[in-house]
Amino acid sequence: MRPDFYVLSWNDLLVSLLFIAFSLFLIKKWKLGLENTLLIGTLRTFVQLTLMGYVLTYFFDQQHWAFMLMLLLIMIVIASYEGTRRQKNEIPHFFLAMFVALLSAAILILGTILLFILDVKPWYSPYAAIPIGGMIIGNGLNSTALTANRFVGELKHREKEIETLLALGATPKLAVYDAMKASIHAALIPNINAMMTVGLVQLPGVMTGQILAGIDPIIAVRYQIMIMYMWFTTATMANMIMLAIVYRQFFTPRLQLKRELLREKS
Amino acid sequence: MIFQFKDVHLRVADLHILQELNFEISKGEFVAVIGASGAGKSSLLRMFNALTSPSQGDITFRGLDIDSDIQALRKNVGVLFQNPIVFEGTVRENLLIAGRWDSKISQTLDHEIIAALDQVGLVDIKLTQHARDLSGGEQQRLALARTLLNHPQVLLLDEPTSNLDSKLAREIMDQIEILRKELELTVIAVSHDHMLMRRYAKRVIILSHGKIIGDGNFKTLDKSRAFEEAGLLKNEVNDAT
Repeated sequence: MRPDFYVLSWNDLLVSLLFIAFSLFLIKKWKLGLENTLLIGTLRTFVQLTLMGYVLTYFFDQQHWAFMLMLLLIMIVIASYEGTRRQKNEIPHFFLAMFVALLSAAILILGTILLFILDVKPWYSPYAAIPIGGMIIGNGLNSTALTANRFVGELKHREKEIETLLALGATPKLAVYDAMKASIHAALIPNINAMMTVGLVQLPGVMTGQILAGIDPIIAVRYQIMIMYMWFTTATMANMIMLAIVYRQFFTPRLQLKRELLREKS
Repeated sequence: MIFQFKDVHLRVADLHILQELNFEISKGEFVAVIGASGAGKSSLLRMFNALTSPSQGDITFRGLDIDSDIQALRKNVGVLFQNPIVFEGTVRENLLIAGRWDSKISQTLDHEIIAALDQVGLVDIKLTQHARDLSGGEQQRLALARTLLNHPQVLLLDEPTSNLDSKLAREIMDQIEILRKELELTVIAVSHDHMLMRRYAKRVIILSHGKIIGDGNFKTLDKSRAFEEAGLLKNEVNDAT
């Protein structure tokens, strides 16, 4: 018989700390020097997610479109800040590029899901908008932050190629086109690989969570399929928007490559 | 007059890379810019096709401000870098790379490509051959042919033969000299090798610490102390003359 629900109590959660204890034991044995980092990570996971639970409960109770939009905006701002922090090189206006990319992905993809796929009523119901919006923003953040780093790496590697193309009369966009293509390619391959192996190698987190929470696996699978498609589109769209803004930052109005930006920030 | 520099300065942070540059270059000239390492030669060369802009002063190309149409300027002012840049792909793809933004080049026919290769002395080469498989000298010639397909009026050379042996360097420079005459090109070559340059250039601009300390023909400047002041050995000058 299929259980309706597995309730996880605080006591149950304490038992899951045994995993961390076991990891600590292994880390110590291998002298990896990661004990403090792991302890901080463990604590932050607990505090951040617990707080988030209360925040979500509060917002879910509000049932107002303004609250939902405000929370999504806050999430986008935090993600944009985090993406900027992760850059090895200074990219002018990168926060803005991330913000525009994530906001566009959230509006288009989340809007489509809420209005046309799930047909959520009311459309701003936080039960759907916040978790799905969070997935879109989180996935967009990870993908764009990596792509931007890769893009700067490509620019460094191709500096002479880019100047040769500029010297032949190319526009900045065409001069960095191969670098953009290589960066987006590298960003999308893991997503495509995930689509190739999903269900064969591992059961994705969302689906696992839904099944544990008592949802029919067939329904959970449908959600997961939608999420996989959504992730891929988020990565594609957010990366393209971000790069369309970012590549311009590497050129002067006189169509010159700002070579000083390709030196590692101290 | 094809280029005019008026009181041009280049500062990067607090460094004075180039200072008080005032000179003109006429159509069809072969001008060598020489100086020791760090004298500012490459920075100066980059200004001719606006890859670098001056911090102060004016540069004109054919009487117009150099910034008035940068893409058109760059098509007219081709450059050959020290290490030839060869892109992933075949010889044909490399030659026609400017076809991505220039429809005239994308429509170039095979016999025109082969003529361009002949012009730079690249014979017995297949258009379908992988360009990165070519030798260093062949890659430099390929880069030259690619630049010539833009039909430039000026050719900038940034130490184009420094990575080649002296025989090959002479061959490529001979080829460039032939092209200069045939196509009525203006050639501006940056080099630390004034012995090679004096075989081709009628005029030499000597740079030292970002300043022009000599501008004229080699014979006149040999009589001055400009070469020594620029950190170029006197005995090298004597050997070559």
